[in-house]
Amino acid sequence: MKLRTKILPFFFFFLVLCGLKFPLISQERFRKSPPYPDPLPELKLPPVESAILSNGLALSVIYRDNLPVITLRLIILTGESASPEKFPGTATFTANMLNRGTLRLSLSDIEEKIESIGGRFSTSTSPDYSMFTFTFSEEGLNESLDILSKMILQPSFSEKEIANVRRSMFYELVRRASEPEYVAKRQLYHLLFRDHPYRKSTYNEDVLKNIKKNNLLSFYDKYYRPNNARLVLTGNLNLRTATRKVSRYLNTWQRKDKEFSFISSPDPNDRLKIIFVDIPHEKDVTIYMGNIISPLSNDDFFPLVVLNQVLGGTPASRLFMNLRESKGYAYYAFSEIELFKACGVFFIKAKVRPEVIHASVMETLREIEKIAQEEIPSFEIEQAKSYLIGNFPLKIETFDNLSLKVSQIQAFQLGEEHWSKYYENIMLIDSKKVHEIAQKYPILTTVVVIVGNKDILIDHLREFEEVEVYNNKGILQYSIKKEEFE
Amino acid sequence: MSKKEVLISSLILFLLLSFARGQEEKGFPFPIEQYKLKNGLQVILSEDYYLPLVSIVVAYNVGSIHEKPGKEGLAYLLENLMFQGSMNIGRMQHISFIQRIGGELNAATTENKTIFYQTVPSNQLALVLWLESDRMKSLEINTSNVERMKEALIEEIRHRKATDLYLESSIFFDQLLFPNFTHSHPVFGNEASLREITEEDVRIFYSTYYRPNNAVLSITGNIDKKKTLQLIRKYFETIPKGKEITPLPLVKFPEKKSIVNTHQDSLASLPAFFLGYRIAAPYSDDYYPLRIIDYILLHGKTSRLYKRLIKKERIAFDLSGGIEERRELAAFKIFIINSNEIMMERSKKAIFSEINKLKTTLISEKELKKSKNMFKMDYINQYSTYMERSIFLAEEYMAKNNLENFPKELERYLAVTPAEIIGLMNRYFTPKNILLNVKIK
Repeated sequence: MKLRTKILPFFFFFLVLCGLKFPLISQERFRKSPPYPDPLPELKLPPVESAILSNGLALSVIYRDNLPVITLRLIILTGESASPEKFPGTATFTANMLNRGTLRLSLSDIEEKIESIGGRFSTSTSPDYSMFTFTFSEEGLNESLDILSKMILQPSFSEKEIANVRRSMFYELVRRASEPEYVAKRQLYHLLFRDHPYRKSTYNEDVLKNIKKNNLLSFYDKYYRPNNARLVLTGNLNLRTATRKVSRYLNTWQRKDKEFSFISSPDPNDRLKIIFVDIPHEKDVTIYMGNIISPLSNDDFFPLVVLNQVLGGTPASRLFMNLRESKGYAYYAFSEIELFKACGVFFIKAKVRPEVIHASVMETLREIEKIAQEEIPSFEIEQAKSYLIGNFPLKIETFDNLSLKVSQIQAFQLGEEHWSKYYENIMLIDSKKVHEIAQKYPILTTVVVIVGNKDILIDHLREFEEVEVYNNKGILQYSIKKEEFE
Repeated sequence: MSKKEVLISSLILFLLLSFARGQEEKGFPFPIEQYKLKNGLQVILSEDYYLPLVSIVVAYNVGSIHEKPGKEGLAYLLENLMFQGSMNIGRMQHISFIQRIGGELNAATTENKTIFYQTVPSNQLALVLWLESDRMKSLEINTSNVERMKEALIEEIRHRKATDLYLESSIFFDQLLFPNFTHSHPVFGNEASLREITEEDVRIFYSTYYRPNNAVLSITGNIDKKKTLQLIRKYFETIPKGKEITPLPLVKFPEKKSIVNTHQDSLASLPAFFLGYRIAAPYSDDYYPLRIIDYILLHGKTSRLYKRLIKKERIAFDLSGGIEERRELAAFKIFIINSNEIMMERSKKAIFSEINKLKTTLISEKELKKSKNMFKMDYINQYSTYMERSIFLAEEYMAKNNLENFPKELERYLAVTPAEIIGLMNRYFTPKNILLNVKIK
């Protein structure tokens, strides 16, 4: 304190002397406002080289040399939509069997071999494809191709492992049936894809008991063919080396010429529907609402991406700012576009407080209506574009994400320009283009799925004109009109 | 030479000395240059031109071990306050500035560090330096901000306690495992301690620890080194240095003795237990091979404990754990959830039996190689993105006060032999362990 009292008068005296040179506020001018950015740097995408092997297997190599790691993705270009009508889940079940043992290797042997090269292996199935992802250290390429070829060419489909997979899939589906986001999305897709093969991907645990070994073998025999597959390798290797090595391990994989059925685009939903699914003990309410965007051309995709960004891409978008920041209804509110080979789905997801379900749905519909009817101001369009362009490189930064992006572009046959001209395509979008798209697609006639605890929500659901109540296995229980609520 | 010339020459010399020039360092898996500003801020730059992005990390050498009893949660509170505005940046604007340009950001507090990180398009480097320097220089600390954030964190604690099964037991176990308050209390504090924190506490904590001489600025990405250094100097060099911080005394584990305790957990739905071993200090000679032992026992579907308890005998419902560091201390933790108490006892026996096997029988070269390969992949993946690399470098620097050993560090982990494993198992995995049985209410 003593020191301070001595210094201060001197300090003010000094300031008076130098008053013209030193401003009283002791901060540099540049701190007062944000600096201007430099020009946007060029995005150089890694080269993707492709070749077709003699048995019809399409091979792509994405060159990246900054980590001694390789990511391998094998995509079987047939997914859940091709499961037999009576046995939905067959595609996923078949995919899950591949690492469960071969004629000579047990499940444990395979796991030992994978982990011995520091590897990780995973499987996923969508309506359009099954994907096997293998990440390992770059010295392990031969070993990984050896394991992969054994899994692909000699899967054993033993009864013991079929029972194990059935059990683990069953418990996984039962576990997920208590997750409101999973239940809501599954119910939304179940209704949107009502007469379409994609509906098969919304199966529940009950179907698993019907799937037998012959279903799996028949699916495997029909679709696990090199001329119905793509292999994408990402890492420090070139196409020549990759072709040589992949041919060595997979050249005995026999092609089978067969016409695979073409999947037509599904029709969009044509009227607003309110659906309720009860999950007991759930405190909050999860809302998923959306519609099919079909057919989705490449020209329409980019304006739709910008529209999505303005509406609900991030916390700075309209839905979040309105439902959470302004009205205080929601914990979150976002929108998304999910791509499939035959269509797209545009959907909104939100978690809200029970007492404001009706207000939240109405406010979301108002936001959709506004975006469909009023041209979006240019500054909002520019902000959305700035986000999308800035964020794109982040989406392809890891080997995993990069190879997933390339794999999906190839699986959906979107064309190389889908990503190589991403910046240019986004730059060209203006308010007019977004407005045209908003009017072209039926984003207003959505299916609204509300998931929550019936005991808490019953009073609030009566505010809707009509509600269809489904159980969490996708079966309609009853419909109830506003005047019928007790 | 005139007096004026002497003055200018001295000034140049002073500037040159005060801004130690970095050199590209050899032996690293990627380029690195280090600098120290005259106010003590440590700068690490790593160029990578693959993508037009840059990741900026500001890490402060402060965490929950710097908190006093009764003020737990102060470090985490301050991390959150760093987003509540500074002299030239409004509340939450830091987040909106980054998100508007497509960037991603987050922050984290541990027992001994607080890290702020973001990745943005590389043409926006200056924006992030402007944002980070403003909150390092002039954070807005006022009653309204402090009280609002305290309430938010209390709500977060309530939510954690209502949803995070076994959290209560885990906190209790840490109190048994670590020797004192400093190392054992949770980073997020508790409701009572957060209420006790005053605006003055926050000010003192901020002015003591959030200073350039107690921080590392780590930048990875598509940068022009010269220009980046100019920008760093512009935004950070005039931030005054803080007082020298007296390092906290180093703590040792007390004499080994076995501890067995029981805790009734109000949320737990299945019986469980925690088992802990106090092991060698981080980055000591024994610590490196112990990390590989962690992989032999617990990492992956073919690790010894996973194979025995989950796959072969199917006696455990869930198995997790590994080595946990708290500055100068490290412990090996195992957490098992069982379907009933019989399975719990069988699980304990199976774990002790696996530990005994490693104490008495040489591990095969094949199995050891597998564990080393898995470790190596995880080690490399720690710097697989620009953000991860920036964080990794900042943490490495803060843990060892330099990066000198980094080029040989992976080799050090991988050098362990089967014979050494037997020795280490006998030294650290003794019956003098810490066991907490979790009972359901």
